[in-house]
Amino acid sequence: MIPAVLEGDLDIPLAKRLLALVHLELGTIYGRSGKGWLDQNLARYNAAARHARWFGMRDLDSDAPCASELVQSLLPHRADAFCFRVPVRAAEAWLLADRERIAEFLRVAPSLVPTQPELLADPKLGMVNLARRSRNRAIQLDMVPAPRTTARVGPGYTGRIVEFTLNHWRPRVAAHASLSLARCIAALERWADD
Amino acid sequence: MHFSHLRLENWRNFLSVDIGLQKRAFLVGPNASGKSNLLDSFRFLREIADPQGGFQRAVASRKGVSQIRSLHARRYPNVVIDVVIATDAAPWNYRVEFTQDNQRRPTIARELVRHGRSIVFERPDDDDKKDPSRLTQTYLEQVNANRNFRIVNDFLAQVRYLHLVPQLVRDPDRSVGRIKDPFGGDFLEQLARTPKGTLDSRLRRIKDALRVAVPQLKELILDRDVRGVPHLKGLYEHWRPKAGWQTEDQFSDGTLRLLGLLWVLLDGNAPLLLEEPELSLHTGVVRHIPRMIARLGRKAGRQVLLSTHSPDLLSDEGIASEEVLLLEPSKEGTTVSVAKYDKEVRSLLDSGLSIADTVIPRTAPKRVLQLSLFGE
Repeated sequence: MIPAVLEGDLDIPLAKRLLALVHLELGTIYGRSGKGWLDQNLARYNAAARHARWFGMRDLDSDAPCASELVQSLLPHRADAFCFRVPVRAAEAWLLADRERIAEFLRVAPSLVPTQPELLADPKLGMVNLARRSRNRAIQLDMVPAPRTTARVGPGYTGRIVEFTLNHWRPRVAAHASLSLARCIAALERWADD
Repeated sequence: MHFSHLRLENWRNFLSVDIGLQKRAFLVGPNASGKSNLLDSFRFLREIADPQGGFQRAVASRKGVSQIRSLHARRYPNVVIDVVIATDAAPWNYRVEFTQDNQRRPTIARELVRHGRSIVFERPDDDDKKDPSRLTQTYLEQVNANRNFRIVNDFLAQVRYLHLVPQLVRDPDRSVGRIKDPFGGDFLEQLARTPKGTLDSRLRRIKDALRVAVPQLKELILDRDVRGVPHLKGLYEHWRPKAGWQTEDQFSDGTLRLLGLLWVLLDGNAPLLLEEPELSLHTGVVRHIPRMIARLGRKAGRQVLLSTHSPDLLSDEGIASEEVLLLEPSKEGTTVSVAKYDKEVRSLLDSGLSIADTVIPRTAPKRVLQLSLFGE
């Protein structure tokens, strides 16, 4: 059982699937209170990783030019047992990278799914805009925010993303379209062998 | 006096519990992990010791031994409750083991009282062997038998439990005839039975504390209506100077729950069992509950055991990891551990994270993600 410190709820199914790739099970989930909180406390989880293996995730967003720079600034002394990964630029990019399955799930034409999800400035918006094109009314209602609301995503967005990540997403296929995901999987494999 | 140790075997959803207890204990665990059942072991002892109670009633009010015995138990072992009560001098130890006989009558399998290192008595004794029906009662509940350890009986009989349901306070007709109802059915009657001087002074202190949460409240009194039924009345500041008196049926859930909590904190100094005291309260108020309890513990030596799901309640820096009990369900029943001795919790606390950040995630249900998918 590997404890994990995560930015938000969407990271839970991702962490679960990624750890399963290397035959590890997700243990207690800490954090989930946004990146401000995570950044403040990351060093403490890093310290805890001196005693046991830990997994962590946080979106890159626009907080640094690249993932390794962000990790460097947040965790200048990363513990070896702490596998901390940063999707470029957000977890949704990793999900969009399985083009075939996300198109199927959202009921959109595969050609509408961006081929290079890591180039999206705002992958969450990318996901919502894709859902906007869905042929399925329920998906639109769940995932797309109603006009003139302050919410960035629809009321059923999280539930849909969780369902997709757990049951449809193929990380190894998605890794072909996302370098940060490919590196994450490679790092996990090395880390799991240690 | 306070409970310093608890051992349970085959009690409800616990196969085996063996934990030290401090003056404050915070029970944290997922829904249905057994927080209330753990508190119920103390209530069970209270009911045995209560002059109107006794062992048979305590079992009957829980619908028999088979309902009490853990479903995880193999075959039909004894149910065991064993508490150590710390005093200024030598500690007391009370242990009761029970089961049911062939006619499904609850029977004592073993009862033991120790004071310090010496055994005050142990059953079954020779008399019990001659007359097995004696084993349908504990010595604890018998005035003749408990005179050497009456202090234990008195201590256990005074344990208080509160899980106030505002709707029952507002509508006491629902619980007519209940006495010392932990859900608040006779809460106003309890207040009315308090001697006037004590009542007035407590209501004044409660009003001052309540005003922090409900600043509009000016006065708080207990009054009887024409039929003699007691009512709490609060005077609220209002733009119409004479229109501000309200009775408890108009109080908000939060006001009533906080009022109940403050009352029970002031009432007596025996151990107090609280179920989720944070319910209906603003997070800013909830944060102060552990501090109020700590002050009472210091002043009156009172022990408080409470269950909670609230990160705000656990955010107080004064809460130590030895005060936090983690309840974690497993196939072999729920396990209870003191947070201090959990490796993962300990390493996070050592690196500077708060109890709340450490313990709440730890006790979240493992498959909680499924809830996001509910409704399909």
